[in-house]
Amino acid sequence: MSRIGVFVCHCGENISRTVDVERVAGEAAQLPGVAYSCDYKYMCSDPGQNLLKKALAEHNLDGVLVAACSPRMHEKTFRKAAQSAGLNPYLCDMGNIREHCSWVHEDREAATAKASDIVKLMVERVKRGKALAPITVPVTKRALVIGGGIAGIQAALDIADAGKEVILVEREPSIGGHMAQLSETFPTLDCSQCIMTPKMVDVANHPNITLYTYAEIEKVDGYIGNFQVTIRRKARSVVEDKCTGCGVCTSKCPKKKIPNEFDQNLGMRSAIYVPFPQAVPNTPVIDRENCTMFQSGKCGVCAKVCGPQAIDYEQQDTLVVEAVGAVVVATGFKLYSIDRKPEESPIKGYGEFGYGLIPDVIDGLTFERLASASGPTGGKILRPSDGKEPRQVVFIQCVGSRAREKGISYCSKICCMYTAKHTMLYRHKVHDGQAYVFYMDARTPGKGYDEFWRRAVEVEDAVYIRGMVSRLYQRDGKIVVMGSDTLVGVQVEIEADLVVLATAVQAQDGADLLAQKLGISYDKYNFYSEAHAKLKPVECATAGIYLAGACQGPKDIPDTVSQASAAAAKVITLFSKDQLERDPVVAKVNEKYCVGCLQCKKVCPYGAVEEKEIRDRQGNLVKVVANVNAGVCGGCGTCQATCPSKSVELDGYTDEQIMAMIEAL
Amino acid sequence: MKNKLMHLSNETINLDFVNKVEKLSGSSVRRCMQCGKCSAGCPMATFMEHPPNRIVRLLQLGQGKRILAGRSIWYCASCETCTTRCPNTVNLAAIMDALRKLSWDADGPSKESYVQLANRLFIENIRTYGRQYEMRLGAVFNLRSGRLLKDFLLGPKLISRGKLKVFHQKNRNLDEIEAIFSRIEEMRKKGEAL
Amino acid sequence: MTPKKLKNYSYYPGCSLHASGREYDISTRALFKALNIGLKEVPDWFCCGATPAHNVDELLSLSLCAKNLVLAEEVEGDLAVACAACFSRLKTTQHHLKVDDEKRAQVEKAIAGPATIAKPVKHILEILVRDLGLAKLEESVKKPLFGLKVACYYGCLLTRPPEVPELDDCEDPSIMEDLLRALGAEPVSWSHRMECCGANFTLSRPDVVLHLSDAILRSAQAAGADCVMVACPLCHGNLDIRQEAIENRSQEKYDLPIFYITQLAALAMGVDDDKLGFDSVIVDPRPMLMDKELI
Repeated sequence: MSRIGVFVCHCGENISRTVDVERVAGEAAQLPGVAYSCDYKYMCSDPGQNLLKKALAEHNLDGVLVAACSPRMHEKTFRKAAQSAGLNPYLCDMGNIREHCSWVHEDREAATAKASDIVKLMVERVKRGKALAPITVPVTKRALVIGGGIAGIQAALDIADAGKEVILVEREPSIGGHMAQLSETFPTLDCSQCIMTPKMVDVANHPNITLYTYAEIEKVDGYIGNFQVTIRRKARSVVEDKCTGCGVCTSKCPKKKIPNEFDQNLGMRSAIYVPFPQAVPNTPVIDRENCTMFQSGKCGVCAKVCGPQAIDYEQQDTLVVEAVGAVVVATGFKLYSIDRKPEESPIKGYGEFGYGLIPDVIDGLTFERLASASGPTGGKILRPSDGKEPRQVVFIQCVGSRAREKGISYCSKICCMYTAKHTMLYRHKVHDGQAYVFYMDARTPGKGYDEFWRRAVEVEDAVYIRGMVSRLYQRDGKIVVMGSDTLVGVQVEIEADLVVLATAVQAQDGADLLAQKLGISYDKYNFYSEAHAKLKPVECATAGIYLAGACQGPKDIPDTVSQASAAAAKVITLFSKDQLERDPVVAKVNEKYCVGCLQCKKVCPYGAVEEKEIRDRQGNLVKVVANVNAGVCGGCGTCQATCPSKSVELDGYTDEQIMAMIEAL
Repeated sequence: MKNKLMHLSNETINLDFVNKVEKLSGSSVRRCMQCGKCSAGCPMATFMEHPPNRIVRLLQLGQGKRILAGRSIWYCASCETCTTRCPNTVNLAAIMDALRKLSWDADGPSKESYVQLANRLFIENIRTYGRQYEMRLGAVFNLRSGRLLKDFLLGPKLISRGKLKVFHQKNRNLDEIEAIFSRIEEMRKKGEAL
Repeated sequence: MTPKKLKNYSYYPGCSLHASGREYDISTRALFKALNIGLKEVPDWFCCGATPAHNVDELLSLSLCAKNLVLAEEVEGDLAVACAACFSRLKTTQHHLKVDDEKRAQVEKAIAGPATIAKPVKHILEILVRDLGLAKLEESVKKPLFGLKVACYYGCLLTRPPEVPELDDCEDPSIMEDLLRALGAEPVSWSHRMECCGANFTLSRPDVVLHLSDAILRSAQAAGADCVMVACPLCHGNLDIRQEAIENRSQEKYDLPIFYITQLAALAMGVDDDKLGFDSVIVDPRPMLMDKELI
């Protein structure tokens, strides 16, 4: 006969408000196999845990059921307490009478009856529980960082500085990301390139960092501590080891009129190009779609002029496999593109702003390039249509953001601050120019941020108008802005020379596909989901994978760098152990009954099932059975439900336990 | 005027006017964040077509004309509640004074004839008598405003209680008072004062 | 031979105290006499300009007050002011001339001489509660105002804007309540102590005054006050003279006597009630005072 202890928690009033906890404890005492039961105000508190420990010793209990909140909340707490009192932690279980009962019911009588039922069936489970031991797996102390913007750079440098190896993978030909495109950064107006390029060079020179640019993640296998990552290195057509970065090829390339993506298509580049002068690595890449040699086979100028003979037109994509123990995802963001057709975007609308039909309606990143000293205009604010200096510039915030029906529901977070910065940059460059900003709210919750915005208004003379713009149209070389000032309650009309739209921050293209490869979850906007919004903001629910920067949600540079360092700290913590302990709730195959149909392999979402050959002593193949890799198994139980011969069982959730629970009802 | 489309440009934003207001009041209009606390506590806001915060907003947009086209500024009671509670030290009471002065100088484009008339009579009284001659103030106001019967029943009550004096002594130093008025006029003529 | 005074003050009564607020003047003089404090009127003082002057012409307002401050120099002692509006204008002038050299230069040109702003300008409340002191005041009480529930009405200008009157906390003053407690009366806690009564709209737009003063009387009555105590002739006028009109407008019966601080203080000091100008006011306080056995 079992000796189970049942502990019913009030959770303050969270449970006791709806459930008669005393009655539940009283009824539990009557259950066969229950040797002790009680109720307590806060079981998770120190006195609550002591109560549990004391009861374990005094009543010689061989199993514990805590009827309280979700096991996600406190299973660890109570198992630890039970363990310290000498019980195998896996013989301690929780019955959820809060989320599953008191929080969702109003009728006290019915809720109490349900709570008693939950206790009744969980007691049956605990009775049939098995003592389990944690599983240990080795850790590969190398990290993969995906994305070479400021987030990826920071995370890579922090991990590498801690003495661990890092593989940094960047999709573009150079690292640097969006931050490399910015002119000056809020709230201190320091030059982005000046603070960014030293970090880029550090990455290139760091002995612990292996840098793959122009490369993408092809496949991710394995599990925490033991990932195998396949990386596709796209054909650069330039051999990195040979290239000296002299730049002759780019200057001699006859195809020079290709819009430069780095300059938001304002400037031009050649077909063989380095995206920007400070690029790391300083190795060119051939844009095959625009290269005459690739399109018609007639040119080859770059190969002819290249001294070290680094040009290789025959180069193919190569696949590299790296073993790593942890992954930091830092793939960043993109801006909602105003020349995009709405069917290709979650943002439906904004035809009223021209969909890119009006050349002098640009987005914030384009304005950054105009204001950047290394940009296409050498830092002069000139409008794209005629290269004239705009006298009146109108900035419109929340284009796509905070527009549930037309766009996206979230706030893009960085626009208020960068728009304030833009008005200053404009005023610094065009002294008698006037900046107007249409805004719904000025959201500036950061250190020195509100002061920065107020400076734009009070010192730099930006006229802020609280209200949205209805429509933009062209008239006599100007853009007519039809807006409203909701503070005055009037319609406002401004004839602008240039209009800058603070378009929504969105997840990077392909973010969903990468998430599927990594097995991490993402929200409906393709931003990656953290394990817990407050308490696990850098971890993914998938163990061993961490998040940094705007791939998780819109973030400015300080927040991005903080999160990147936090993710690095998590990786370093993981690498501080040689072996990892894992929850032993994993599937086990009964090889005697397994017929090797491998249905389980098909349904396993973790790829944990392998084939195993069973041979006799002479080495003859007896049969093939399924085998579960305990390190990879996520304990979901899908195999158990699928197995036709009932030869797979999940420890802690055996068929016997489940059937007993059902029968108890 | 109140709801008319507002064209904003360097030409339509009258910063000259705003600078005068800032100079006269000694208070910045740009500091205002439009929180609306001034309007929230203004005892007179219900009588105004532009509540106090909107007056500042219009100044921020250089729209002095719109302000003076309305009569809101004349309904300010100078109670100083706005100034006292402003979280950003915008001295709205002083801004209201400045706006009334600018309207007054422009010969009252902002019309609230009763309040303006009362102010005018009050100041005239100082110049003529030195001290307020309340009986005359009330009587002339009623006469000039055409509201002859205003407080008709109150007059005799006040006279019988000695609260309104029918006869009033002029100050002995009236010439000194007159000199102050005329020196200020002189200074303004010479552009030595706003 | 009059006995030696405790202290001497120069006195700026202001226009209202010579006319519609005469009982404020009468009771102030009576109170000071009873407390043996000297009070000498500034010769040839003239109007401070009040709200109408600063409303449209700040320079004029400052100049008028500056000249009055010069005249006050001729009489010994800090300048005692009873009217809250005069007090506010004189203090505002001192404040501006102290912090703004440009304004000061303009004002000195207008009054053709140096502006003297050193003489402390003190409201009667300040003189009673601070200069004389609550202990001394309590000691001097001959007929404590026991059982009298009073709503202390500060109005706008005694406390606002805080850097000008320097009299008390601008959102939670207590100087009037402190005074009343010393007199034996019971100040009530109420909501409209510092709301505007409509002030000088009394001449141009009495409808505004009725609207605002109604709220004040209503709040005082709801708090259980027997009467309202004020420190400003304009507030007094709006709450007392217009009380009947307010009652007609709102169909409420207030019947709240409005006292000046000096009337109640003098009453407590044992001054005869027929020397306090109670016959001058519209809402006669005497029946209520008799009822409370205070007269």
